Amino acid sequence: MIVNFLTYLRERPNMMKWLFMAVLAFALVFDFFADRHHAHFWGDHINEFWAVFGLVGCLALIVFCKGLSHVWLERGTDHYDK
Amino acid sequence: MTSSIFMHPATMFIVGALLLPLFKKFNAQKIWLVVVPLLAFIQIKYLPASFGCVEWLGFKMQFGRVDQLTMVFLHVFTLMALIGSIFGLHVKESGQHAAAWLYVAGSLGTTLAGDYLVVFIFWELMAFASVFLVWYRKRKRSIEAGYRYLLVHTFGGLVLLGGIFLRYLNLDGDLSFVAITPDTATLADYLIMIGFMLNAAVPPIHAWLPDAYPEATVTGAVFMCAFTTKTAVYVLARGFAGFETLAIMGAIMTLYGVGYAVIENDARRILAYHIVSQVGYMVCGVGIGTEMAINGACAHAYAHILYKALLFMGVGSVLEMTGRSKLSELGGLYKYMPMSMIFTVIGGIAISGFPLTSGFISKSMIIAAAGANHQLILMLMLSLAAVGTFLSVGIKLPYFIWFGPNDCGLKPKEAYWNMQVGMFMAAFMCIFLGVYPDYLYDMLPYVVNYHPYNSYHLTETFHLLGFTGLGFYIMVKYLKPHDVSNLDLDWFYRRGAGWFMWLARKPISSTNEWVSNVYQNIGLRFTMALARALSWFDWEGIDWALDGSARGVVKGGEQVRQFQTGKLQHYIGAAVALLFLVLIVVVLI
Repeated sequence: MIVNFLTYLRERPNMMKWLFMAVLAFALVFDFFADRHHAHFWGDHINEFWAVFGLVGCLALIVFCKGLSHVWLERGTDHYDK
Repeated sequence: MTSSIFMHPATMFIVGALLLPLFKKFNAQKIWLVVVPLLAFIQIKYLPASFGCVEWLGFKMQFGRVDQLTMVFLHVFTLMALIGSIFGLHVKESGQHAAAWLYVAGSLGTTLAGDYLVVFIFWELMAFASVFLVWYRKRKRSIEAGYRYLLVHTFGGLVLLGGIFLRYLNLDGDLSFVAITPDTATLADYLIMIGFMLNAAVPPIHAWLPDAYPEATVTGAVFMCAFTTKTAVYVLARGFAGFETLAIMGAIMTLYGVGYAVIENDARRILAYHIVSQVGYMVCGVGIGTEMAINGACAHAYAHILYKALLFMGVGSVLEMTGRSKLSELGGLYKYMPMSMIFTVIGGIAISGFPLTSGFISKSMIIAAAGANHQLILMLMLSLAAVGTFLSVGIKLPYFIWFGPNDCGLKPKEAYWNMQVGMFMAAFMCIFLGVYPDYLYDMLPYVVNYHPYNSYHLTETFHLLGFTGLGFYIMVKYLKPHDVSNLDLDWFYRRGAGWFMWLARKPISSTNEWVSNVYQNIGLRFTMALARALSWFDWEGIDWALDGSARGVVKGGEQVRQFQTGKLQHYIGAAVALLFLVLIVVVLI
């Protein structure tokens, strides 16, 4: 059953995309209603701060780590056997 | 009180391991594999606060010291031993189960130890037992990785022992294992801390972990991911809470581990690197040292053991059923292993800290503790690592194994029933703790004044996770795995060993050969002649005069020689077995 359901979803990437966007939109709207009494620092007072942090952080991690791997760290899996 | 009839949990596992072959003979191995950890799990509640104090060779040793801090770890260690043993029920080799249990015993013994000497004994037991979990995979790579693992841990053990000796001198023979304050710490304490940090896989002494764990057996890796590093977190929390070095190193660890998890290809290697990252949270919490941070470190250790083991079980099932663990060789398996998929995804969302899972209620506690202590940079580093966690283990790993852009074409069977039961238990705990955090919070060493389910924490989590997901969606083509591995700091000793061998082979060996040639031509002839004369006198003269005992010894020696197989593994196994016997005798008396 679950397999059929997942296959159903997998065959509809557009629908998934819009669903995902809807979730993100909900998260952005929800932020305006959150109680900010427990703020630890200035970022906690800015609406959507963690959204920007998440997106920029994620992209930066991918670009930095993948880049470093490409130019320096990447080796064949049998590197030490040679 | 029932405390008069109890057994040291480590002894239970040691005796259990020794009796395993017997139960196997009567076809009852599977029952025994469940009974022993279950008994241990139930029994820990009845342990008295202090037990097993012995004097041995002038040392005061304490094998049992139980308080709140010990209890959290004992609880999760015995629970994990039960889950791991059930997951491994299908494995027929008793040896592998015995190694796992001795390893568990080492971990429990360290956790209960009241002085450094007992810590050291069980510490070494842990290293020597767990290496067999790597060797039992029986591939050339695993054997080599096992030796490296053993050498690195021996080195760490020696540093620890050096620290213990110095402490013994400094404190006039007081080896009790108590908290050390940063102001009074001496070289001895720092050596001990480094020994502990090696097991916690703190960079730059972390490379043993991603080197060995991916080469372990399927069940071996499930055990290994739970015990070594978390025992190290326990001893750090016990001895070194509030050391700022640990807070900084921990925060660096979280990013270091997650960075490698983003670029690696082998699923178990990704998870292994990710242990470094997760243990970083705990080390950081210990380093911050406030009540909330220590609580957070313990809570995170508890939650982490369960979901990381769940993830190792999930990818272990795939490895068991397909023989593959590289993301570049997998994809589309959800059709054939849906149950394993569901459990692995639960582990993935728990480790990422989704609301209603255990990660949400534990990880955030450490981040909040950093914030409450005004350590802003640490807090942001930990938050960034949380982003990387969701990216690498929450999305990338399940996506490329179970779904992915293309199907790998394999049609494996679903994992064995016992593997599914093990995964179910861990998955259940991940959600149970998320829904009912007080179960965990009540066990923590200090009173908890933290409420994870507030609207701000929720919105923060939605944002971090949602927009990390968006980042993955944008970059998914760039993240496609390739069949490569990445250099890490083990390069120094893996290449360094090569250079050392070259040095030994070329200059040193040739010099040696030259000297021995000279000796053979000149010295040896003379010595041999002398030896023959003496031997003749001894054999014919003295032995005849006495009672022929020399001939008896020669014969006996021939027989003893048969025992020596020349395989280092056998010797280590025998030595470890002997150590357990001594331990049992000491503990039971």
